[in-house]
Amino acid sequence: MTSSDVDLVVETVRDILTKFEPFVLTAERPWDAGLWSALAAAGLTGVGLPEEAGGSGGELADAVAIVGALAAGAAAVPVAEQLLVAAPAVLAAGLDLPAPEEPLSVAVDGAVTAEPRDDGDGPGSWTLTGTATDVAWAGVAQHLAVLATSAVGPVLALVDVAGRETTHAANLAGEPRGSFVLQGVTAAGALLTDAQAEQLRARYALARAVQLSAALQQVLAWTVHHAGERHQFGRPLGKFQAIQMELAEMAGEVTAVAALVDAAVQAVERGESLVLAAAAAKVRAGAAVEVVARLAHQVHGAIGFTQEHRLHHLTRRCWSWRDEAGTETAWARVLGAGLLADGPDGLWPALTRVV
Amino acid sequence: MGSNSLTLAPAPRSAAAEEVRAEVREFLAAELAAGSFTTHVDTWLSGVDPAFSRKLGERGWLGMTWPKQYGGHERTAMERYAVTEELLAAGAPVAAHWIADRQSGPNLLRYGTEAQRAEILPRIAAGECYFVIGMSEPDSGSDLASIRTRATRNGDGDWVVNGAKVWTSNAHTSHYAITLVRTSPADPASRHAGLSQLLVDLSLPGITVNPIRILDGGHHFNEVVFEDVVIPGDMLLGEEGAGWHQVTAELAFERSGPERFLSTYPLIAEFARRAAEGQDPAQLATLGRLSARLLALRQLSLRIAGALDRGELPDIPAALVKDVGTTFEADVIDEVRRVVDVPASLDSPDPLGRALAEAQLHAPGYTLRGGTNEILRGIVARGLGLR
Repeated sequence: MTSSDVDLVVETVRDILTKFEPFVLTAERPWDAGLWSALAAAGLTGVGLPEEAGGSGGELADAVAIVGALAAGAAAVPVAEQLLVAAPAVLAAGLDLPAPEEPLSVAVDGAVTAEPRDDGDGPGSWTLTGTATDVAWAGVAQHLAVLATSAVGPVLALVDVAGRETTHAANLAGEPRGSFVLQGVTAAGALLTDAQAEQLRARYALARAVQLSAALQQVLAWTVHHAGERHQFGRPLGKFQAIQMELAEMAGEVTAVAALVDAAVQAVERGESLVLAAAAAKVRAGAAVEVVARLAHQVHGAIGFTQEHRLHHLTRRCWSWRDEAGTETAWARVLGAGLLADGPDGLWPALTRVV
Repeated sequence: MGSNSLTLAPAPRSAAAEEVRAEVREFLAAELAAGSFTTHVDTWLSGVDPAFSRKLGERGWLGMTWPKQYGGHERTAMERYAVTEELLAAGAPVAAHWIADRQSGPNLLRYGTEAQRAEILPRIAAGECYFVIGMSEPDSGSDLASIRTRATRNGDGDWVVNGAKVWTSNAHTSHYAITLVRTSPADPASRHAGLSQLLVDLSLPGITVNPIRILDGGHHFNEVVFEDVVIPGDMLLGEEGAGWHQVTAELAFERSGPERFLSTYPLIAEFARRAAEGQDPAQLATLGRLSARLLALRQLSLRIAGALDRGELPDIPAALVKDVGTTFEADVIDEVRRVVDVPASLDSPDPLGRALAEAQLHAPGYTLRGGTNEILRGIVARGLGLR
């Protein structure tokens, strides 16, 4: 795919988004089903997945661009989970990919154990027991890729969760984050190596970093726009030096995040080891949320603190996304320890290899 | 989208850069083992070692991007980036040649006369000829257009310079100062007009170099006073009256390199020893957080090196890198302090205590030199369309 193809995909997503304004998510209306249908009808919920597996073809870069455009639009659909995390993991494990129009999410947290129902060698049938927690789009997703543990190692199992009961938990933006209690559920699954399980967690973290990067860029753009429109003391806010300093600080953070997230995605495209690159991207993006969300609200003033204004659609998501798929602290420890794998003298060489 | 003027294309991967990186790393390991230098914080300001600079020159690691006819090596900005980054990470003594290699040489290439280039550039590339920046003055810090050092033509067509420059790092060990002077009277209607750059030989009569000590007692800064200094007419750099424009171009080189986020890397390296030893979760997390910030800065700086290779002068992204990078350099101290029980002292028996002390006493400079962060944020705000 060339960059112009990526631009075209983004154009298509943005076109669709003009017909679906973000709204305040509630237990009654936890996602944008209409937007999902429109994206699925355009083949966008299968991008980056091979056609022979039922996907729409295209590259990782296209899927990343779609996820970014949807994140910037505060789109309440499980596209990041499906395109960047669950579907690639299902395919890599040799399991059958559900139809791309049926939302597929992923569960890496909680305690789920898997017992083999056959010889346990290669893709097979497993019995799952335990609770999958913090499941993105629980109650919305029809399929769930569950990372479970077994006596012989990590297992990725694909569970049909359509209609299955879930707790009604949500993140700070109202996105569903419920739990599933699994008691002797039969599911197709495959053994993973520990490294593959770690890669799956890292891909999830990178997906959130991609969303954060796009959302933070949009928050900056909205804030710059607001500073140009809003007049106080007879001048636009953006003409005040104090406001300019804040916007410049936001721009520094946003630009730094974008550079690192882009580089991490490119490292994945090159097939390089993902874990430290994803950890760095997630930690950096999460750290930027502190500054960017705080200053965005400060510059927007009281109106940005209301549900009437659009700003909260992104700032609330950012405040949650930074904690999800592994908190900054957890990933920072992984990154710190990983960079020291060859001892303290190996730190600098490791830093020049990560991305 | 508002941030577009700040955004550059991702840097291309460079196999050549990785090759030269490995060579530099090997060289530095050998030099450290031989005891030819010891690691310190902020060595691109404080580590003056002409012998070390000449060794780099011999290996072809100075003037790397310049044409071969001027002693350069016609390598890419990406390769130069790898070399400078390795030297800084090792805390190597690179201050003697740093300014000449980074910005004075490129400035001469761009605006110098053929005679100036032929005479001076090969000596810079050999690690033998050092430069200082003659921009700030006692009454002109951030407000550079207000400088008062003036140059007037005498009857022989030479320039007579009077005034003073300050914060001229290592003027006492350098050979030339590219000096911003007023060549026509200040015009309130056009503050940036009437400025020119002169190539000043620091050994000329009438020049006095007075030391100014920084907080750790080190002598790096100077005041350079010009009293009726006669400078040959052909030492005008570029065009008369184009000084402001030339200075702006120079700053793109000055503001974007890895020295804008690696000045305190030796402190991180020392802290990493502690974290590796104890495997304390809080220390590992701090190392991770600092590393994530550093990795993002590397990508920004690499993007600028890529832009320089494309012939661009990305002054606005360069200002952004320097703002984010120098803020990081100082934050390193605070972040490390929060997770270790080591008092900062230059006399500490603990190398971490010494590194903290060096970094702390140099810290106020990080966000001042090369344009204060307030000035840089103003430039970024311009990039956002606010000015």
